[in-house]
Amino acid sequence: MPAEGLLALRNVWKRFHSGGTETVALHDVDFVIEPGQFVTLIGPSGCGKSTLFNIIAGLEEPDGDGSVLFQGQPQRHRDLLGKVSFMPQKDLLFPWRTVLDNAALALEIEGMPRKAARQKAAALFPEFGLQGFEKHYPRQLSGGMRQRVALMRTFLFERELLLLDEPFGALDALTRSMMQRWLLEIWARHRRTVLFITHDIDEAIFLGDRVIVMSARPGTVRCDERVDLPRPRSGEVMLTPQFLDVKRRLLAIVEEESRKTFSASA
Amino acid sequence: MEERPSLIAPVATAIVVVAAWWFLVPLLGINPRYLPSLSTVVADGLSIRSDLVAGFWRTFVETALGFLVGSLIGFAVGVVFAYIPILERAFLPILVAAQTIPVIAFGAIVVIWFGNTILAKVVIAFYLSFFPVTVATIRGLETVDRDRENLMRSFGASGRQIFLKLALPTALPLIMVGLKIGVSFSLAGAIVGEFFGDTVGLGVLLIQALYFEQVPRIWVLIVACAILGTIPYALLVLVERRWVWWRAE
Ligand SMILES: Nc1ncnc2c1ncn2[C@@H]1O[C@H](COP(=O)(O)OP(=O)(O)OP(=O)(O)O)[C@@H](O)[C@H]1O
Ligand SMILES: [Mg+2]
Repeated sequence: MPAEGLLALRNVWKRFHSGGTETVALHDVDFVIEPGQFVTLIGPSGCGKSTLFNIIAGLEEPDGDGSVLFQGQPQRHRDLLGKVSFMPQKDLLFPWRTVLDNAALALEIEGMPRKAARQKAAALFPEFGLQGFEKHYPRQLSGGMRQRVALMRTFLFERELLLLDEPFGALDALTRSMMQRWLLEIWARHRRTVLFITHDIDEAIFLGDRVIVMSARPGTVRCDERVDLPRPRSGEVMLTPQFLDVKRRLLAIVEEESRKTFSASA
Repeated sequence: MEERPSLIAPVATAIVVVAAWWFLVPLLGINPRYLPSLSTVVADGLSIRSDLVAGFWRTFVETALGFLVGSLIGFAVGVVFAYIPILERAFLPILVAAQTIPVIAFGAIVVIWFGNTILAKVVIAFYLSFFPVTVATIRGLETVDRDRENLMRSFGASGRQIFLKLALPTALPLIMVGLKIGVSFSLAGAIVGEFFGDTVGLGVLLIQALYFEQVPRIWVLIVACAILGTIPYALLVLVERRWVWWRAE
């Protein structure tokens, strides 16, 4: 593996221009992700997290001043399309496709024959707790199930780097903590590199090997904290002094940044 | 997928209307000049049944051909306009203006161009039906969700895959609406085309009945046109129920 890790962002900026006004969404974002790491990204609303993901997914071009390196290679606009598995903030299921065909979408796009794609997707259904729902349509599912279908679709697009944008943001607390544990199990089994956006500090610490806190807009890396809690992690871990210690430190920073967002918009 | 709406209510309504028309109209002594009883209308229809069947078939063929060509071209034009906005801006206003020409005036020109042939009627039917399909296709393709498109692109999808797997299914419910409007317009076009003169067709019979003030005959033709208009519409509804049941979320 090159010295640059799996993914390296170097001085990444993103400015949006609309109607004569400039919005700086990201400024000087700089970090490296090592292969196999589970990195969580937390920051106030509107600080540019989704924009950052769009850049890493190849959907949006960073401004000229910085660079994105993937497996050591500098990436130009659109180079990254098709190279990372990206799960956007909304589940974005296709209402006319069954759950099975939704899950198999990326495989179909990759050119796998429909039958083989369905077979491969169907094999994952038990693991994702969706067995028996293959023939259902998205609107017949609960929010948590839809999210799992979207996650399965992302998983089936087998790439080294997974980008998950607030996958559990819309779920109730109970479902959410079930999903967190379940995600860690899946991750332990499949060992992919994960970059995970959340608004929830507990979630960020519980899941991550590392928590990156972003500043209020214009977003940049405000702090980058290792989380050395042993794995596998259970819910108990959230009560350990070590966890609380990390939480206390991050909470102070996150709150400070959130306050900036509020006073800026007030 | 959709819950099947029961046929009982519409069928019951139809029976009531038919019964009222058959029995109540003579009973109330309504002047047959305004509304002849259904029995008179049916008798008149039977007396010209061979002309009626031939006319029905002819008008159906004109409507169907005009609609098929109109919807295919309408769809193609809609797709082109949706993907090449400069063409939409350049040509859509002209099409809109052209649509405001009264179909009678337009029909006269078409008959001068193509003579009193079946082709002239098909052209008029085509002209009326393609525009709603074009507009529906453009609007449908405009509703394609940017986020879903980005998702597909992140999976490395080609433009063709995005069109077939995302844009087209998104647009289909609206396109179906356009087709349903188009098929009704197509029938109107075929009938107006026949007004300019011909020997077969419901429009021909209608013009003759008007000329000779054959009131029951007019009603025969009104019913025939209603049936002719309902058949393709119902077929489209069936297609929609079976294959295009989803709505934009
Ligand atoms: N296409 C765009 N054009 C103009 N401004 C944009 C565009 N996309 C995002 N922005 C702006 O960039 C900033 C960052 O947006 P982004 O969606 O990345 O935030 P976020 O951190 O994901 O927020 P949230 O936590 O609420 O999802 C916002 O101020 C947003 O208005
Ligand atoms: Mg976001």
